[in-house]
This record gives sequence, C-alpha cells and structure tokens, in this order.
Amino acid sequence: MKKAHDVGGRREDFGPIDRSDHEIEDWERLADAVNYVLNAKGHKTTDEMRRAIESLDEYKEMSYYERWAAAAELLVVEKGLLTKEEIDARAAELERRWGGA
Amino acid sequence: MIRPAAGARFASGDAVRVLDTEKEGHHIRTPDYAKGKPGWIAQILGSFPNPESLAYGGDGLPEKPLYKVGFRQSDLWDSYEGSSEDILFIDIYEHWLESRKHGGEEK
Repeated sequence: MKKAHDVGGRREDFGPIDRSDHEIEDWERLADAVNYVLNAKGHKTTDEMRRAIESLDEYKEMSYYERWAAAAELLVVEKGLLTKEEIDARAAELERRWGGA
Repeated sequence: MIRPAAGARFASGDAVRVLDTEKEGHHIRTPDYAKGKPGWIAQILGSFPNPESLAYGGDGLPEKPLYKVGFRQSDLWDSYEGSSEDILFIDIYEHWLESRKHGGEEK
C-alpha cells in the first residue's frame, strides 16, 4: 500500500494543489514551538516525526499543523513522557478556559 | 561536505536498479515511483544513520552508504513527454540498490 509520504508522481489520484494561504493561528505557532523544543531536548527526531505523521489514519483530512500536533501526541505517549489521559485532561481544561470564546 | 563511505559496494558509474520490494512500516525514503527502475551511481554521498531505524527510535546503526543515483526520466514515467535526455537524481541508500551487471536484465 502506498503511504501518504510516497505518492510522488501519482497525479491520477489527486486533484489540483490548493495554493490558498491562511493566517497562521496561535495554536499552530504553539504546535511548531512544542515540536521544536521536543526535538531540541532530544525527545524525538525528524525521522520519528515523519513516521508518526505518515501513520495518521486521518492524514488526508488533516491540516499541516493538525498532523504535527497529532503526531507529536503519538510520540510523547509512545515514549512515556505523557499519557493519553493526561493530554486529554489538559485539553479539556483548556477547552473549558478558552472554549466558545 | 562529503562524508567518507567505508565499504561502499558501488562506485561512480555503476549500473544499478532500485529494489522493487514492499517494506513494512512508515518513512521509507526510497520513492515508490523509482522502485524496479534502472539507474546509475552518479556520486557516493557518504554514510549516514539509517532513517528506517531512526524513524522507530533506533540508533540508525550501522550507517548506510548513500548514493546520488541518476535516472532517465523516460525510464521513470511510462508516458514521459519531455526530452529523452532529461535526468532525475535521487538520493538512495545502498540497501535499496542492486547491481545491473549480474542477473538484472536491461529494462
């Protein structure tokens, strides 16, 4: 099966490239920053990140930084830095604090 | 900077073919469209940690020789409409290459 990162040259499977731009949102800056720190501190590597991104079931439906955030979550859980429960609890707390704003 | 590649099996100019094998796992750096295609060693780039190991938290050792491999575009794409002299270079690790000198028939 062809993986998400290995579709080069398969024009027949895809429509035109969406070249529209958008303003970078705060959470996207955070996703970028967290990833940078996790790499700089030696918790994960670029190769692991690419593997994790490619393994996402909903890859095609996700935006660029949604993939980054989801892949980073996979890796920190895999490496035992955080549990899924801890991440979900924190996300729920942030949702309560910022949600609906 | 060119890093030394101790024990590299291929030399510049060698005729090679990319292995046409499926590999389990993610983050395979060898493009699917190049699998099974004939090319030649354009340059030995050095030895580097194996990304297929690094991708799963491994140490990437032993390091694998990496080559700049040349391909004729008309060999890569069935309906290539450009010049027959067009060339594409792809960086490919040694364990994805076989020699075309013995066994491998011209395609």
